[in-house]
Amino acid sequence: MAEVTEVDAVVVGAGPAGSAAALALARAGRSVVLLERGPFPGSKNVYGGVVYGRVLDGIVPRWWEEVPVERWVVRRSTMLVTPTQSLSVDYRSAAWGEAPYNGMTTLRCHFDAWLAAKATDAGARLVTSTVATGLVRDGTGRVVGVRTDRAGAEVHAPVVIACDGVNSFLAKEAGLLPPAAASHHTLGVKEVLDLPAGAINERFGVQDHEGVDVEILGCTRDIPGGGFLYTNADTVSIGVVVALPQLAASGVRPEELVADLRDHPGIAPLLRGASLREYAAHLIPEGGYDTMPELVSDGLLIAGDAGAMTLAAGLWLEGVNFAIGSGDAAGRAAAGALAAGDCSAAGLASYRADLEGQFVLADHKRLRKAPALVLSERVQQRYPGLLCDLAEGMFTVTNPTPKPGGLRLTRQVAAGHGVRLRQLAGDTLRGLRIFG
Amino acid sequence: MTAPTGPLVAVCLRVTDLRPEVDRLTGAVRRDPLGVGLTPADAAALELGLRLAETWSARVVALTAGPSSVDPVLREVLALGVAVVRVPDGGEDDGHGYTAELAGDEGGLARTLAAALAPFGPPDLVLCGDRSADRGTGALPAYLAHELGAAQALGLVSLSAGDPAAGRHLVGERRLDAGWRERLRIPLPAVCSVEAAGVRLRRAPLTGVLDAADRPVPVNRSLPVAAATGPGAGSGGAAVHLGGSRPFTPRPRVLPPPAGDDPRRRLLALTGALAAHDPPTVVAPADAAGAADVLLAFLARHGYLPEADGDAR
Ligand SMILES: Cc1cc2nc3c(=O)[nH]c(=O)nc-3n(C[C@H](O)[C@H](O)[C@H](O)COP(=O)(O)OP(=O)(O)OC[C@H]3O[C@@H](n4cnc5c(N)ncnc54)[C@H](O)[C@@H]3O)c2cc1C
Repeated sequence: MAEVTEVDAVVVGAGPAGSAAALALARAGRSVVLLERGPFPGSKNVYGGVVYGRVLDGIVPRWWEEVPVERWVVRRSTMLVTPTQSLSVDYRSAAWGEAPYNGMTTLRCHFDAWLAAKATDAGARLVTSTVATGLVRDGTGRVVGVRTDRAGAEVHAPVVIACDGVNSFLAKEAGLLPPAAASHHTLGVKEVLDLPAGAINERFGVQDHEGVDVEILGCTRDIPGGGFLYTNADTVSIGVVVALPQLAASGVRPEELVADLRDHPGIAPLLRGASLREYAAHLIPEGGYDTMPELVSDGLLIAGDAGAMTLAAGLWLEGVNFAIGSGDAAGRAAAGALAAGDCSAAGLASYRADLEGQFVLADHKRLRKAPALVLSERVQQRYPGLLCDLAEGMFTVTNPTPKPGGLRLTRQVAAGHGVRLRQLAGDTLRGLRIFG
Repeated sequence: MTAPTGPLVAVCLRVTDLRPEVDRLTGAVRRDPLGVGLTPADAAALELGLRLAETWSARVVALTAGPSSVDPVLREVLALGVAVVRVPDGGEDDGHGYTAELAGDEGGLARTLAAALAPFGPPDLVLCGDRSADRGTGALPAYLAHELGAAQALGLVSLSAGDPAAGRHLVGERRLDAGWRERLRIPLPAVCSVEAAGVRLRRAPLTGVLDAADRPVPVNRSLPVAAATGPGAGSGGAAVHLGGSRPFTPRPRVLPPPAGDDPRRRLLALTGALAAHDPPTVVAPADAAGAADVLLAFLARHGYLPEADGDAR
C-alpha cells in the first residue's frame, strides 16, 4: 500500500504558474504541497528572457525592490531581416527604467526560485526532485491526488492544480489535452553568450541596469518563426522560435538557425567576442486560444503552459506573466472551492470566469487569429524582404535618376516579392483588426 | 545533559557549490547558493553510514560547518531520518566566523566538529567523503581521528561491518597502485573517509521530505572557534590491521549456461570470442550539433528511432 499524505491542495510544477497557485492557496490558509521534478525551482526551465512584471503588482507589493533582475528593459526593437538587410523599429522609454517598470530580463533559475520562496514563506511545502507520475482518482473518476516517483507515495487532496508546463502529461492523462499536436507547438532554441557588462552597455546604447529586447522576423529561412535577442547583466540571450512541422520537414537543424542569426551583419557586431555559456531548447504552446484545453474538471485545474497559455502573437512572446496570472487565479479558485466544500468542476468553475475577466483569456481571445497571420507565408517569407527593399529604395540616392514616388516604388517592390498591393492592403487590414 | 545511549554513527558533510564559476582572468571564484549539494563522495559516506547504522541499530548524526544557504541540502538529509547539526558560518549567521576562520585550518575545524558531536556521546564511527570539493586536502578525517582518539582509514572504496563473531569491527578496501587493493580490518571507534564508489544515496520517503520541509535545521551556535579538545584527543586510536593486498578482481557475474550441443559453440557463446563487437564510443564532441548527431546515430543504430525519422529530425 502506497504511503499517503493528505493536504488541501497539491500543485504540480514549481514554475511561475505553480508557485503563484501555491502562494494564493497558502495565503488563504490552506495546506498545500508544491511538487517539482527539478532539484530547485527554475532548474529545468527554459525561456527567452523577458518577464513583464505588472501581473506581480497584486501578488508581491513593490516586487521590483526584491526580484532577482538582470536588467530593466528600456529599449524594445522590432527588427525585420533578410540575409543581408535589416530594418528596425526601435522604441525607448525612460519610464520603463523606473519603478514600477515594464519588463525585465531575469534568469529563470533565480526568478522561479524567488517566486517559489514566496510560496514557501507563506506556508506552502515545496518538494523538489520529485516527479508527479500520475493522477489518483476515486471510484467516481474524480481526481483526488497525484502519485509520485518517491517509492510510489501519493499526495491526496480535494483539488490538484496541474502547472507542469507545455505538453502536460497530467492534463493529457485527465483527457483534457489531446495527444501532442505538433502544429500547435513551436520549438524555442537559444544560446546564452558571455559578454562583459561594459560591452553590452556600449553596443546596445544602455547603462547601469538598463536592458534591451529585440524581436526579429525573417531570420528563420523558409521555416515560419522568429528570433530574439535580450541583454542580461553580463550575458546575452539569442535564439529562434520555429514551427515544429516545418522545421522537421526542412531537415534544418535549429542550432544552424541560431548560428545564422548570430552571424547576421546587423547582429554580429553586437556580439563580437562573446563566448557560449549554455544552450537550451524547449517547446512552446503557441496555438493560442483556439487550441487551449478544458481548464477545469472534477478536482483538477490546469494553469500556465499546461493550459497552452503562452501568448505568441508576433509582436509579443509572453508566457511567464500569463502563467503567473493563471496560476494565481487557479489558486484563488481552489481556495474558494475548498472553503465552499465543493471541488467538483462546478465548484471550481469560477477559475475560467476569472481568467475571461482578466488579461489571461481576454488577450488570448482578442488575439486568437494572430498566430495564423504571423506565421502565414506572406508575413514570414515575403514581407521582411519587401519592407527592407522598400526602405532601401527610399533611402538609396539614385542621382541623376529622380527619386521614385512612394506608390510606384511600393508597387514595384511588392511585385518583385510576388505580392499584390491588394494582398498587402488586405493583410494590413487583417492585422489592424487583430491587433487594433 | 546526559548523552543519549546506543551506538552512534556520525557523518561529516561539506555542503558547497558543486559547480562554482572561476573567472578565467582573475581566478576569482563565484559561488551560487542554488548550486550547493553533496559531493558524490559525501553522499556515499552518508549512505554507508545509514547501512552500517541499520546493521548495528545505531543512531546517525550528520554534521556540517557552513552558512544557512546550505540548509535546503541539510533538509534532504533530515528527510532520511538523520539528526543534523550545522555549525554556522559567521558571515551570514551570527558573527562567530567559523568557516571563515577555519578555512585552511583543518585541525581547528576538526576540533569544532568533535565538540559539536559531544552532546550525542562518543561516536563509534565517523564517516567523511574522501575530500571536500572546495578546499579538498583530504586531511580533515585524520585530524578528526586524532581529536576523537579513533582509528583512521582513509580513501576507502568499500566499507562494511566485519563478522561480529570476531568482535565489532569494520572491513574496508582501498586502492593501491597498479590496480591492486588492500583490505583493512578497522577497529572501532574509527574515522573513515570514502571515495564515491559502489553506493548511491537512497531517496528519502515523501513523508520524510514533507516533515523536514517544516523543520528548522538545528544550529549549534555555542561552540568556541578553538573548541574544547575531544575526550580521547591525542591518544590515537587502535591500530588498523592490514589483512593483505591483492589485485582487484571484479565480482563474478552469474551467466545462464549457453545452449547448444556443440561444446565449441557453447564456449564461443560463453566467451563471445568471435562475435563482432561495436567498439565503445566516447562521446565528447565540441559542440551541440556534433553531440546530437552522435546520440541520434546511436539511437537509430539500436532501433530506437523509427526508420522514417532518420532524416526528418
Ligand atoms: C525559448 C523560449 C523563449 C521564451 N521566451 C519568453 C519570454 O521572453 N518571456 C515570457 O514571458 N515567456 C517566454 N517563454 C514562455 C515561458 O517560458 C512559459 O510560458 C512559462 O515558463 C510557463 O510557465 P509554467 O509555470 O506554466 O511552466 P514551466 O515554466 O514550464 O514550469 C513547469 C514546471 O513543472 C515542472 N514539472 C513538469 N512536469 C512535472 C511533473 N510531472 N512533476 C513535477 N514537476 C513537474 C517542471 O520542472 C517546471 O519547473 C519562452 C519559452 C521558450 C521555450
